[in-house]
Amino acid sequence: MSRARRALALGAAAVMLAGALPLIVPHPFVLTIATQALIWALLAASWDLLSGYTGQISFGHAGFFLVGAYAAATVTKHAGVSPWAGLVVGTLVAGLIGLAVGFPALRLRGHYLALVTLGFAEIIRLTAQNWMSLTGGPFGIYDYRTFPGLPVEPLAHRRAAYWVVLAIVAASIAVMVKTCEHTPAAKAFRAIREDEVLAATLGIHTTAYKLLAFGLSAGFAGLAGTLYAYYIVLVSPTVGAVGTTSLAIGMAVFGGLGTIWGPVAGALLLYGLNEALRFVGVVYNLIVVGLILMLFVIFVPRGLAGAVASGPRGRRRAAARAGGERALGTTGN
Amino acid sequence: MWESVADFVVQGIVLGGLYALIAVGISLIFGVLDVINVAHGEFFAVGGYLVFASVVLMHLGPALGIAAATAGTFVLGLAVYPLLLAPLRRRLGRRPFGPLYLVLTLGLSTFMQNGLLALAGGEYLQIPPHVRGILDLPFTSVSYQRLLVLATAAMLLGGLFAFLKLHRYGLAVRAVAQDPDAAQSVGIVLGRVFGLTLALGVALAGASGALMAPLFNVYPAVGFPLTVKAFAITIVGGMGNLVGALIAALALGVVESLAVMVIPSQWQNAIAFAAMIGVLLVRPQGLLGRAVAR
Amino acid sequence: MSLAIEALHAGYGDLEILQGASIRVAPGQIVGLIGPNGAGKSTLLKTVFGYLRARAGRVEFDGHDLVGRRPDQILALGMSYLAQTGGLFPEMTVHENLGLGGFTLESARRRREALEELYTRFPLLYERRRQMAGSLSGGEQRILAVARALMVRPHLMLLDEPTAALAPRFIDRVYDTILALNRSGIALLIAEQNVEMILAAAHHVFVLDLGQNAFDGAPADLRESAQIRRLYLGDA
Repeated sequence: MSRARRALALGAAAVMLAGALPLIVPHPFVLTIATQALIWALLAASWDLLSGYTGQISFGHAGFFLVGAYAAATVTKHAGVSPWAGLVVGTLVAGLIGLAVGFPALRLRGHYLALVTLGFAEIIRLTAQNWMSLTGGPFGIYDYRTFPGLPVEPLAHRRAAYWVVLAIVAASIAVMVKTCEHTPAAKAFRAIREDEVLAATLGIHTTAYKLLAFGLSAGFAGLAGTLYAYYIVLVSPTVGAVGTTSLAIGMAVFGGLGTIWGPVAGALLLYGLNEALRFVGVVYNLIVVGLILMLFVIFVPRGLAGAVASGPRGRRRAAARAGGERALGTTGN
Repeated sequence: MWESVADFVVQGIVLGGLYALIAVGISLIFGVLDVINVAHGEFFAVGGYLVFASVVLMHLGPALGIAAATAGTFVLGLAVYPLLLAPLRRRLGRRPFGPLYLVLTLGLSTFMQNGLLALAGGEYLQIPPHVRGILDLPFTSVSYQRLLVLATAAMLLGGLFAFLKLHRYGLAVRAVAQDPDAAQSVGIVLGRVFGLTLALGVALAGASGALMAPLFNVYPAVGFPLTVKAFAITIVGGMGNLVGALIAALALGVVESLAVMVIPSQWQNAIAFAAMIGVLLVRPQGLLGRAVAR
Repeated sequence: MSLAIEALHAGYGDLEILQGASIRVAPGQIVGLIGPNGAGKSTLLKTVFGYLRARAGRVEFDGHDLVGRRPDQILALGMSYLAQTGGLFPEMTVHENLGLGGFTLESARRRREALEELYTRFPLLYERRRQMAGSLSGGEQRILAVARALMVRPHLMLLDEPTAALAPRFIDRVYDTILALNRSGIALLIAEQNVEMILAAAHHVFVLDLGQNAFDGAPADLRESAQIRRLYLGDA
């Protein structure tokens, strides 16, 4: 079976297993956690597309998430738009904001890029916090519809909502994986990450692909935001704080940068761990998250996905990739 | 009207002094280690907690309290390089992959903030002013507390600059910032300089936390907004450029303070980010440029 | 005062540059290291001085094993190193640069003594002592770098292409200084692209190619061998 075919099979199996969860464990609390974990997974994966694959480090994904959430909540509350359409609106608006951020940031790399995206995210958050007439200020937006057509009974409702979120997240992940592995964009993203100057001289339209990455990544982060908005039925500025970005980054690093599925697994595991630890003590969970983040960056920088890929086939592939790196690196005399 | 302006300017300078203590520390760490310390604000919080412990719990008096907070943060800072950054550096070898260090300090920030939450609880701790009383100036008046902040900031920064200019290890710090390989060739041990620099940088943050504790109250997340703003300041001044950070910090303090006269106060915080984005788009190396080219 | 390098393997990451090179420097000798680009000349010097960790082989200096030691430890044993480019602190004055050369000296008094010695030896540097190092000409910068490396009174100096990117009139001055250093008893291991200069100055020359020894002998012997001339000395 080819690699792509096998990945598809594994993915389909995972989705089916996830879909069976409400039937295996019909507990509303578990479903709530699982749904939120899926939303985080989408956010972490969207970050990976931009930062892990294309090497454009973003510290501002909380901003895109917030924009998506607020856009959706606003149109549904004030314009009566159906949540299904609201999903699209939120995604598009966030994607456009992503382009707006990505365009001026084209010339920046590394630290500077990270900080400018952080700056944008903070401005977005401050706007949400202070522009009372538009965003409801610090109290946020609430009191709007969630997905129509779902059963009313609490457990059935959560089950249905879980399936909706699962379907959307799974479809999004599939799109991201396809884009990052099986389209011309895949090679372009990787080339830009390894050596942007070289990529440009090889004829790759780095500007177009970087903008594409920004737009897609922000759009999917916004989609995660809209899902959050319709699931929790409350959006407030705190959702756009740096803590959100850092948790998403933590999940991505834990799961493995540059893989898309790694961050998904990382998000699910870390969020599950986070919630499980809540039973131990309200504050200790994030301490563990911080600790995991540090330990993984130092000792397992390629994350879980890297550990998986450390089998013999993975090593050969990694060596081939490294060969490219070497060719671009310095040689001594 | 002029009274208000003078009021705001004075407050702005004091605020600028506070910003300077934090921004100079971040700029120093970046200039020498090439690392952006996302956890910087957490050391500000630690300084606040240490001064609370010294002054409120142990009744040591403000001077001793501030000194203890600064020293304590310095000692804590000494642990960061060998325990966290050095292992990553060994692993990465000579290839600097900045983003991983960013993520590492991000993890440290989360760990420290929540560690403080776990150790000390989330309530806002109150600390009485270090000094009481008001000084009357021609156009305005200013509290001695604020003057203390300014004076101490000036003293600490002056001390830092003197150290960098005159002391053997200060020169070593500058040398490493300019050319780590050349620094090694004269026998400077990079790890020691990195550790010292980090400790110095966060000690400044701890000192400012101790100084500001009566004004800000002390709680685990108190430092983070300042960190983010300090990033903006250092970019405007030029990453790695200490004088640039100082000037940009003072300027921002005054501008923010005066801005309340024209824009709603909640938007004050956006000024720093707008300035940062503007600078990054127009002149990425900052207004004064990077002091050292790599 | 003698340096023995045997079967040295070293490189960067996955790239292995040195594949078993062996060099000897006798006390007071000038030894040249030549070879094509990528042969490993710089890598060898960096490995000896501790910038890179040797993967296999031995490096012995005055009876001390150098493998695994840090640059500051090797400096303390009496060996100093001059990088190919840079190597100075451009935003510091000449005086500060020289002072840093004495970073490892035990006391401020020792540092001052060493500074006085060097200022006497290089009056040009004394004249320019308050100038920023970055504002000196290429040749002056190279002299400053040499002077700084002398602060610790080394027995042996590693020079990586000391005349790289220098105008011809400076090249002669730098080599005059190098020869004067040797006359005062310092051994020198010099990696050079400028084959003519090093053949004229060295007592013994090693040729490196692809990280291994290709030839070694006295300069005269190298000149005589047509094959060496063709391969490495640029004769048609």
